[in-house]
Amino acid sequence: MIFRDALKWALQSLAGQRLRSFLTILGIAVGIAAVVLLTSLGEGVHRFVLGEFTQFGTNLIGITPGKTSTTGVSGAVISNVRPLSIDDAVALSRIPRILETVPVVQGNAAVEFGPRTRRTYVFGVGAAAPAVWQMAVAQGRFLPEDYAAGARAFAVLGSRVSHELFGGSNPLGRRIRIGGERYRTIGVMAAKGQMLGFDLDDAVYIPASRALAMFNRESLMEIDVLFAAGSSADKISDRIKSLLISRHGSEDFTIVTQTQMLDVLGSVLGVLTLAVGAIGGISLLVGGVGITTIMTIAVRQRRAEIGLLRALGTGRRWVMGLFAIEATLLGGIGGIAGVILGTGGAWILETLVPKLPTHTPMSYVILAEVLAAVIGLLSGILPARQAARLDPIQALRAE
Amino acid sequence: MRTTDVIGFCRRAVSGYPLRSGLMLLAMAIGVASVVLLSTLGEGTRRYVANQFSSLGTHLLIVLPGRSETTGGPPPMMGQTPRDLTVQDAMALARSTAVRRVAPIVVGSAPVSVGSRQREITILGSTAELLPIRHLTMAQGRFIPTGEVSRAEAVCVLGYQARKELFGNRSPLGRFVRIGERRFRVIGTLTQKGQSLGTDTSDMAIIPVASATALFNTESLFRILVQARNRDAVSRAKRNVQEIIRDRHDGEDDVTVITQDALLATFDRILKTLTLAVAGIAAISLAVAGILIMNVMLVAISQRTAEIGLLKAVGATHIQVLILFLVESTLLSLLGTAAGLLLSAVGLLVLQQLFPGFPMAVPWWSPAAAAATAVATGTLFGILPARRAARLDPVTALAEK
Repeated sequence: MIFRDALKWALQSLAGQRLRSFLTILGIAVGIAAVVLLTSLGEGVHRFVLGEFTQFGTNLIGITPGKTSTTGVSGAVISNVRPLSIDDAVALSRIPRILETVPVVQGNAAVEFGPRTRRTYVFGVGAAAPAVWQMAVAQGRFLPEDYAAGARAFAVLGSRVSHELFGGSNPLGRRIRIGGERYRTIGVMAAKGQMLGFDLDDAVYIPASRALAMFNRESLMEIDVLFAAGSSADKISDRIKSLLISRHGSEDFTIVTQTQMLDVLGSVLGVLTLAVGAIGGISLLVGGVGITTIMTIAVRQRRAEIGLLRALGTGRRWVMGLFAIEATLLGGIGGIAGVILGTGGAWILETLVPKLPTHTPMSYVILAEVLAAVIGLLSGILPARQAARLDPIQALRAE
Repeated sequence: MRTTDVIGFCRRAVSGYPLRSGLMLLAMAIGVASVVLLSTLGEGTRRYVANQFSSLGTHLLIVLPGRSETTGGPPPMMGQTPRDLTVQDAMALARSTAVRRVAPIVVGSAPVSVGSRQREITILGSTAELLPIRHLTMAQGRFIPTGEVSRAEAVCVLGYQARKELFGNRSPLGRFVRIGERRFRVIGTLTQKGQSLGTDTSDMAIIPVASATALFNTESLFRILVQARNRDAVSRAKRNVQEIIRDRHDGEDDVTVITQDALLATFDRILKTLTLAVAGIAAISLAVAGILIMNVMLVAISQRTAEIGLLKAVGATHIQVLILFLVESTLLSLLGTAAGLLLSAVGLLVLQQLFPGFPMAVPWWSPAAAAATAVATGTLFGILPARRAARLDPVTALAEK
């Protein structure tokens, strides 16, 4: 007996009991479809979140005041005794292969134009902010490269703030008040949309030194560094570390590279996808039990056939192999059907609810198919052993 | 045919094939148990979060400087505004009759050193009221003294972790630590409270608010924690807080007031939805188990054709045969549900052993919903095979053998 014969035998026996095979395959297919659909959703959300973060570019390094080992917002960002200054940011921009640095102060203030007022986020930044954060200026220009000490009172509006304060009229060159101080509008940013619920367009940008004065602070909240593509983030962050230590006397800051942040985020989201997939996998387990049940019944019903095979000289191994192949086929066909159902479902879901991102990587599809076949094989072991153990004489007499 | 006959017939049919029936029960049981256990984990998480919130304080309002007008957006977390929220603002809030306690909070980070040991930790500037508001408990010594808030006394209270790192096993009481460039005397330590919602209360030092404003050279408060007199007073306290701050800030609304209840309700809603979603996903396995029952029943009917023919020949009606097989599939799913509930009870015990601190709780709806879904799917998937059995022609069925 050759393998091709065995495959043909298994296929014929599946085709012989069409309804029974169909229902067994359906069980596995539902399980695989659940796993594929759920992991597609998880992977979609994963990509969506990573996309939200990488829209600021990937060659970024953030430096925050205060040395913390744990992630999360340190108290040092709010207040500290050893400040991170604008001079630090200027000094960092002299490191080779660092393209731009942006000092960042963030706060909340009222922006007034005539009788209209809007309370919004105020970002104190440098001239390089559009380059580092990959933002585009829609009208006018961004803040000029002034010396920190003599930064002029210019403001650039986010698109939403511009719309709320000026409506359709041209905001360029107008005088507005931010936190009670007078500023001249020199530009409007292009709309960037939301990031994880945070409206990026509801903000105004002013020079960092003026923001420090407005909020009566000494320390920046963050310095963002853009380095040349192709450089190693670790090497650059080592250089930043040694420069700042020489300026401050000790390591009183925290450096987080974009890759580190994305790694942490990616691993968290990966675990979530895995967990959701595993919950969907419970159905697969039940489907596996279904294969075992049906195969047990099949072995019992086909005792005479098995007896004949054995009488004709087929070894125990071959009999076991025959039934194992049948079970694997059940699982494999169920897997293919499930993958089609799952990817189809994911596609329909994305079409119906465009806000819900889904993504089905090819590797998942192949993995799901292999998983289905393996589950079929494992579920088939018990009935296949039963078949192999049958005594040929007894089995023949069963008819 | 009497009911007892029907049950007896089905019981024998089920027990006649122990392996087959056992496997079907296993399938059903896995489905039911996974629904119950997963919803229990979800409910446990919800309770855990609720506990965390109540350990934050009761009837709490949080006042943040700054206000953002994006609807549905996050509140301004950084707390930097042109007009500071000051200690005087905080003290003025105590005037409201709806307010019981007020604790201003200044947050920052500074290196704390004892001898040669140094550690950069979070410094919290507050008043004596913080102790009852945040439900903190003292391990040794006493908390920041009550009295004039503008007095910058050089005393501090260490969190559990901070004390361990800085002093090891020695008693820190009465000793001096250097925070930034100033000396503070340690007057007490807190018990280990661990993490509560991301902020580690154990790795910090608490100093009087006036000392903190001097240390960080800032007038601005990071937060004000306000405790309302009772649950009913929370909304009145929120209104009063906004009015008082508006009066003090030249008629400008520049603070955000968050009530603990609103915050908790948001989390509650999210976690409830998550629990339902997870239980729903697990319930897909019940459908798979239903398909299995249908499959096996179909096989059983083709095997028992002669039996059905005999039943019909002795006068059983179409409806009676239908009921007979429906009862059989329902019985299977009932037994499966019972096995599943048993399995989930065992699973619950194991989980409780593994995570003793986690408030494991079975939500009332989950066993009921799991059982109902299981029995419903079992019966539903039994209809097709039962109809097929009922439609059999007695003569051809009998001739089969």
